[in-house]
Amino acid sequence: MKSQNLVGEIVSKPYKYGFVTDIETEKISKGLTEEVVRQISAKKKEPQFLLDFRLKAYKHWLTMTEPNWAELGYKKLNYQDIIYYAAPRDNEKKASLDEVDPKLLETFDKLGIPLTEQKRLSNVAVDAVFDSVSIATTYKEKLAEHGVVFCSITEAVAEYPELIEQYLGSVVPLNDNFFATLNSAVFSDGSFVFIPKGIDCPMELSSYFRINSGDIGQFERTLIIAEESSSVSYLEGCTAPMFDTNTLHAAVVEIVVLDDASVKYSTVQNWYSGDENGVGGIYNFVTKRGHCRGVRSKISWSQVETGSAITWKYPSCILQGEDSVGEFYSVALTNHLQKADTGTKMIHVGPRTKSTIVSKGISAGKSLNSYRGLVQIGPKAIGSKNYSQCDSMLIGDNAAANTFPYIRSQNPSSCIEHEASTCRISEDKLFYLQSRGIGFEEAVSMIVSGFCRDVFNQLPMEFAAEADKLLALKLEGSVG
Amino acid sequence: MINSNSELILEISDLHAQVEGQKILNGVDLQIRSGEIHALMGRNGSGKSTLSKVLAGHPAYKVTNGKVLYRGEDLLGFEPEERARLGLFLGFQYPVEIPGVSNIEFLRVSTNSRRKQLGEEELDIFSFEDFVDSRLKLVQMNPSFLERSVNEGFSGGEKKRNEILQMALLEPILSILDETDSGLDIDALRIVAGGVNQLTNQDNATLLITHYQRLLDEIKPDFVHVMSSGRILRTGGSELARELEDSGYEWIENELPKTGES
Amino acid sequence: MDRERITKDGRKLKMSLQETKLWESLSEPRGPLASIQLSARESLKSRGMPAASEETWRLTDFQLLESILHLPLSSSASESNCSSVFDMPSPPTEGFRLMLSPGSEPLGLESLPKGFNLLNSEELKEVLGKALEHCGSNEDWSVGLNNSCVDNVLALRVEGIDLPSLELVISGKDGEFSATRVILLVEKNTHLNFLQVLLGAFNSAHSHLIEIHLAENASLNHEWLAFGGGKSSFLSHIAVEQQPKSDYSFTSIQKGWLFSRFEPCLVQVNGQASTKFRGLQIADSNEQIATNSTIRFDGPEGDLDQLHKGIAAGTSHSIFNGCIEVPQPAQRTSAAQLSRNLLLSNRSRVDTKPELKIVADDVRCTHGATVTELQEEQLFYMRSRGIEQIAAANLLLRGYCQEIISSLPMSFDRWKVLEHVLEGLRG
Ligand SMILES: Nc1ncnc2c1ncn2[C@@H]1O[C@H](COP(=O)(O)OP(=O)(O)OP(=O)(O)O)[C@@H](O)[C@H]1O
Ligand SMILES: [Mg+2]
Repeated sequence: MKSQNLVGEIVSKPYKYGFVTDIETEKISKGLTEEVVRQISAKKKEPQFLLDFRLKAYKHWLTMTEPNWAELGYKKLNYQDIIYYAAPRDNEKKASLDEVDPKLLETFDKLGIPLTEQKRLSNVAVDAVFDSVSIATTYKEKLAEHGVVFCSITEAVAEYPELIEQYLGSVVPLNDNFFATLNSAVFSDGSFVFIPKGIDCPMELSSYFRINSGDIGQFERTLIIAEESSSVSYLEGCTAPMFDTNTLHAAVVEIVVLDDASVKYSTVQNWYSGDENGVGGIYNFVTKRGHCRGVRSKISWSQVETGSAITWKYPSCILQGEDSVGEFYSVALTNHLQKADTGTKMIHVGPRTKSTIVSKGISAGKSLNSYRGLVQIGPKAIGSKNYSQCDSMLIGDNAAANTFPYIRSQNPSSCIEHEASTCRISEDKLFYLQSRGIGFEEAVSMIVSGFCRDVFNQLPMEFAAEADKLLALKLEGSVG
Repeated sequence: MINSNSELILEISDLHAQVEGQKILNGVDLQIRSGEIHALMGRNGSGKSTLSKVLAGHPAYKVTNGKVLYRGEDLLGFEPEERARLGLFLGFQYPVEIPGVSNIEFLRVSTNSRRKQLGEEELDIFSFEDFVDSRLKLVQMNPSFLERSVNEGFSGGEKKRNEILQMALLEPILSILDETDSGLDIDALRIVAGGVNQLTNQDNATLLITHYQRLLDEIKPDFVHVMSSGRILRTGGSELARELEDSGYEWIENELPKTGES
Repeated sequence: MDRERITKDGRKLKMSLQETKLWESLSEPRGPLASIQLSARESLKSRGMPAASEETWRLTDFQLLESILHLPLSSSASESNCSSVFDMPSPPTEGFRLMLSPGSEPLGLESLPKGFNLLNSEELKEVLGKALEHCGSNEDWSVGLNNSCVDNVLALRVEGIDLPSLELVISGKDGEFSATRVILLVEKNTHLNFLQVLLGAFNSAHSHLIEIHLAENASLNHEWLAFGGGKSSFLSHIAVEQQPKSDYSFTSIQKGWLFSRFEPCLVQVNGQASTKFRGLQIADSNEQIATNSTIRFDGPEGDLDQLHKGIAAGTSHSIFNGCIEVPQPAQRTSAAQLSRNLLLSNRSRVDTKPELKIVADDVRCTHGATVTELQEEQLFYMRSRGIEQIAAANLLLRGYCQEIISSLPMSFDRWKVLEHVLEGLRG
């Protein structure tokens, strides 16, 4: 037991991304009205169809009630007290990075995502989103040589309106749920990816989301389209400064995958989670969904969720194409008073579809970590298979872990297997490592990262090491 | 014992098979006559169990080419249970556990299905118990295993003995024993081998899949085959097994391609 | 207030509870439970019918639920008609049988064996509703419904050693809704074998509520057979309270109900007890069979071993919701729950949701769920031994049920459980 207490004494490192960039920001006034929706659309010089889309969503949103999830009990948000659009004053997207405000470049430098030619990551193209707008996208030209489009959604609306009109809202309909509908009305920016037929995207694509202002909501929208026989790996990272108010982040990600194509979507989410008393932090209410439309298409979600005061997120797959494959690999770590309710939905529609779910939840402090998932095998999904494994690790006796797997099958030739377990860091393992001379802290983090290994293995190389470090950092001081 | 005039029980020619879309067997040729004992060896993953499953008719394995004659008939046209009734027996490398189904009941139904085929009288519960008793001795198995569910909670060695018990009950013509020796302690190995020896005669044949000389010291094979990448790479007498024990598989694989080898 | 309910075919149901035949047939509250009846009716009236928006009712076929409520309440005055679709075996040789019918004293009560005593009204007052309260079941709709209807309770205290086993048979009445309630106190150091049989008859509906208290060191083997027939239905709630060092083994079988909802709830009030649940439910033709089990540990070192099996054939719907709660005081709890389901037809449906809610760190909790057809490897193994596909499948099906049925020492033979369970089923 002594060792367990000892673990408790190691204290959390402060959130190192908590700084605020001092930059002149253009904000529209607080609150949400039809006028605000029109204003956002006008600022972005959007075509009529998109304005109509937004207005329809807004009108529908007015009729909806905010979900009341028992396990998430959070302070209700005042939607009239949020700023729905904020952008650095000088927000015309620059043709060259040299013209971008150095303060912004410096910000991303500090976040470890250098954007400038000399310093940028060699094999990753980055779309950097600051508050409501995308400020830079690297390697655009190189990608264009392969026909790959990677840009902000705002640019995509201007340059590829037909694609946007065809696909936006086709996976997550504008009336899908309270937060997705809100997003559909007010989304500001985000990334757009289009991989043409037969192309394996030559580099990793990455978006980095930064919330800077304390009183804005970030509503980014991401759309990824993978045409026949193409493939892409996409990463998403996020941070925010420390404020003692709660900031809303309600994103929507839609992925469409055609025949034989595959998309790998990885997230390392490290929004500010509030302090140890639960003051401040991001409310992260996100709708992510992929549609495997084509035969043998594949979507793989991997996520490492460590930040946010509240996370509400279920990256899902609709497996429609025959032999399509959905995967979900997740590590969710909560500490202090964080609450995470995350999981996935695997909707098997087509024959011989397969899905795999691996979820690792680690709850420390007084946090609550829930896995909530749905596996549904429809009557036509002949010979389909699902395997789910949901493990929780509890650190300290005030932490809570829940598992809510919803399982439905309507097809006798299909097979669903779900396994879940809950444990704590085993003293035997700790002892074994310590008896080989490994320090206590290190032993704990070895065990935790061993616990998460199956998920980390799914992350792109650059991210896996990062995620491991992040976890160790987050955990310091929580074990006990 | 080799007698080239004896009945040809199994004749495999150019057999190709796949599972889950993956090609595993790539042209197997093999002939087995009655009275013969064959040993099949080869590296892990070379396709030995796959061959045995294909012969027994496992639905997950798809034959893509080639043919198999069993006593002159097209084996691949039969359902798994028909093959069993015709006297083909597979002792599984990993026998499955079947919770809730009692071992004795299972053995009785299965024995009777074979007896029916042979035109023998089916056994009722009581006469079956007597019959089982006599066979239990052959494998020196404790009768308490009969009351338990099929293989459930059996140790590795107990499962293998249960397989040989089934062989003794079904009196097969061709027995394929897939690593029946693995997991057995030294005494058990002798018992099982003794059982097999007692069950073999001039009218039946055995294909032993094994990794170890140990078993072949107990059951003398007439032929030893080495499998590699889904093909039989080399065939020899019992001395081949000893060479393998000493030098591993590499030398055979390196020797190739060799032509005209039989 | 009534919320909207939508039937399978999308029809909206708007019927309110007060319009049902059942409600209209309720008589003035009377008997020892009069005050409970009164308050339950009040709260049920304001609550209305359950709705799909409530988590534990979300999969309910409300049309079937409502049809139950269209039967009038059976009263003691009505003909006792225990003849169900079932041939009743003779009572256990080492025990005795009670026949319970609504509103009247149970048959066979005149001569209770030594060790079995009825509670007097003082004692009754003290224990009535206690287990429900500890299990947190008081707000449950099925409990409210039972409380509204039932006007008598069979309350037994059991104490001693070498007791005869108790068999309690409850039969539904064709065309009527019956409600029964039982309280069972198993005292210290007492071991009891208790079989409950619930028999449906043609178009009968039944609401049953039982509270069980296990004192320290008590042990109870509880077998529960619920065999319906025709269009019969039941709603049943069990609330069990276990003191430390007690041992509770519960095995339930549900088959043949057009609609059934079974709610076993258990709390280990101070942990340190041992609980074993075994359940088998079989849904065929157009039936909906549901089990909602809740198990909570309010103290340390409790132990749970739960295995629930479901089979769905025809166009039926089999539902299992199993919740395990391990709050902070329940350190060193060890709980395992497994939900296994077989789908036998491509128009049937299985929903299962095994839930864990854990706030204690030093625990070992696992759960699992599977939905499959018969295992291909097992089928192949049998076929490779010469057993025909259909025979092998039936053997497997039997084995699948046997695993549960084998923990019915009291009833297995006498009630021919395996035969009843397998009747009409095809692997
Ligand atoms: N059901 C299956 N699904 C996918 N791959 C399979 C399946 N069965 C066999 N394989 C693969 O086929 C190859 C041959 O397997 P097999 O079991 O026949 O080998 P083996 O020679 O018996 O090996 P061992 O000596 O280890 O028993 C292996 O690579 C194995 O992974
Ligand atoms: Mg093998």
